[in-house]
Amino acid sequence: MSSVKLRGVRKAYGAHEVIKGVDLDVPSKQFVVFVGPSGCGKSTLLRMIAGLEHITAGDLEIGGERMNDVDPSKRGIAMVFQTYALYPHMTVRENMGFALRFAGVAKDQIARQVGDAARVLALEPLLDRYPKQLSGGQRQRVAIGRAIVRNPQVFLFDEPLSNLDAELRVHMRIEIARLHKELQTTIIYVTHDQVEAMTLADTIVVLRDGIIEQVGSPLDLYDDPANQFVAGFIGSPKMNFLAGTIVEKAANGVTVELTNHKGTRLTLPVSGGAMGEAVALGVRAEHFGEPGAGDSDISLRVDVAEHLGSTSYVYANAGGEALVIEREESRHEIGVDQISVSIAAAQAYLFDSAGKRIR
Amino acid sequence: MTATPMTTTDAGAAASAQAGTRRSGNPFAMLRRALVYVLLSIAAFVSVFPFFWMIVGTTNTSADIIRGKASFGSAFFDNAATFFTQVDALRVFWNSAVIAIVGTVLTLAISSLAGYSFEMFRSKVRERIFALLLLLLSIPFAALMVPLFVMFAQAKLVNTYVAVILPTVASIFIIFYFRQATKAFPSELRDAAKIDGLKEWQIFLYVYLPVMRSTYAAATIIIFMANWNNYLWPLIVLQTAENKTITLIVSALTSAYTPDYGMILFGTVLATLPTLIIFFLLQRRFVEGMLGAVK
Repeated sequence: MSSVKLRGVRKAYGAHEVIKGVDLDVPSKQFVVFVGPSGCGKSTLLRMIAGLEHITAGDLEIGGERMNDVDPSKRGIAMVFQTYALYPHMTVRENMGFALRFAGVAKDQIARQVGDAARVLALEPLLDRYPKQLSGGQRQRVAIGRAIVRNPQVFLFDEPLSNLDAELRVHMRIEIARLHKELQTTIIYVTHDQVEAMTLADTIVVLRDGIIEQVGSPLDLYDDPANQFVAGFIGSPKMNFLAGTIVEKAANGVTVELTNHKGTRLTLPVSGGAMGEAVALGVRAEHFGEPGAGDSDISLRVDVAEHLGSTSYVYANAGGEALVIEREESRHEIGVDQISVSIAAAQAYLFDSAGKRIR
Repeated sequence: MTATPMTTTDAGAAASAQAGTRRSGNPFAMLRRALVYVLLSIAAFVSVFPFFWMIVGTTNTSADIIRGKASFGSAFFDNAATFFTQVDALRVFWNSAVIAIVGTVLTLAISSLAGYSFEMFRSKVRERIFALLLLLLSIPFAALMVPLFVMFAQAKLVNTYVAVILPTVASIFIIFYFRQATKAFPSELRDAAKIDGLKEWQIFLYVYLPVMRSTYAAATIIIFMANWNNYLWPLIVLQTAENKTITLIVSALTSAYTPDYGMILFGTVLATLPTLIIFFLLQRRFVEGMLGAVK
């Protein structure tokens, strides 16, 4: 299996630059997920690695070899598309063996490789069916099988689960994770669904507007986001942001007064920031505590509560600032107009007006 | 408050009552509906009657046809015998078939390649060239006939199949049709094929062509009919009897001093048969193709 290296990679359509200099190392056998909002360039970057988009500037290496101008079929990659991209006029067997047929592989060898891949994915009963006779999940499994048959150094997945319903998506997510464990291949996976990213990835690459915002393990990104964008993007429900101002700087930290909760102050153990600077205080939904349990309490007006069984989410606001609060212990008490919660300074994050983390 | 669930019978009764109201609704709606049916019936009659008249005519004598006899007669075999005596049918059908089949295959190949390329390959001048092509559609064939003839005469191709086929193979309408149809061709299939190691021509041959077979079927009917029925240009460039097509021959038969209409209609039925056969063979795909179905 192979590593993938990107060095100063750029992509422009005329004067419009969509990938603005990406440097990235994907170690061998790693499951790397590109995540970001629509239009951030994650699919374009994947297509550049696949050879489906020309690289305007920079270098791409797969397995230590420069691949910028190498034909897609000779890069040692296989790709699974969002829309499956199965050839509709071919059976599952023909779809899976198509690349090998064009590579001049002997018929019995093709049959063996297709059989092996079909066994791994439990596709054997479907081999003589046409794609239109398969369900969405089966089609996606065939698309994965077609990729496996090629025995690639790197698997590329372009939002492979987006067209599936919620239940099937969870099932296929587990299938893909199992497959990675079994095949031990390098996988680059694109998604806009951060739950997929968190559950599948060894490493997550968060992209925005053609640049990498942060690279790290799912929990690193969750626990230690580099900026407000990553903090807001990773985690579900997304992190809450409360507007505030730095009112005091001392040796033990920085004190912030919350704009929409007059008189509420919180001292965070950070050293950055300047007096009077406008900041955003980030608090995850599950980090709001019972009143009095944290360092400061705030009072909010409840808009709506969602009860999911083990957990409830309270959608509340104060001064137009919408917040989501997770409740596990006292979820039966939700339903009142007002709710008081506490914030613990040790579990809060501080971001400057440019969105950069204040540490 | 209790609610009684509606049974199937209730639902059926309600539906038929609703339909009844619709049927016996206001008199203006009924009148409008009747008018529509009358107009549709007239249109159907106008479309079908010539075919009926043509088929009935093959069984009647010329005198009966002139008299307007609209029932089947007994002169079918006489008309057939006269036609085959006067016309070298095998030769004429051969000429028409070669021109129509070769013309159809070449037009499909060239125009579908052009349509595919126009849609698949990005270029700064692509839309301008395409707009220019569409503009060329507005030039009437009458304006092109003389320069075309001079060109073929200089190339010493007059009175050959090539002269009939060549001007039709790059059909702007068919290029436009294929370009529009290609918009529905999933670009991921092309990407997948590239990753599978196919060159562009292989993608066209092994992926695009089978996926777009409905479009090809619809185009085949359109092109074959146009080539088979082509009259004006073959009339100009095909100058000797042994190269003439069925449309030219049937037309020539009408110009006799006393035309034998029974025999002419027999020839017309024969001339219509190939297009009918092609249409019925590809009918299902034709409908899919016209709807732009990519399955």
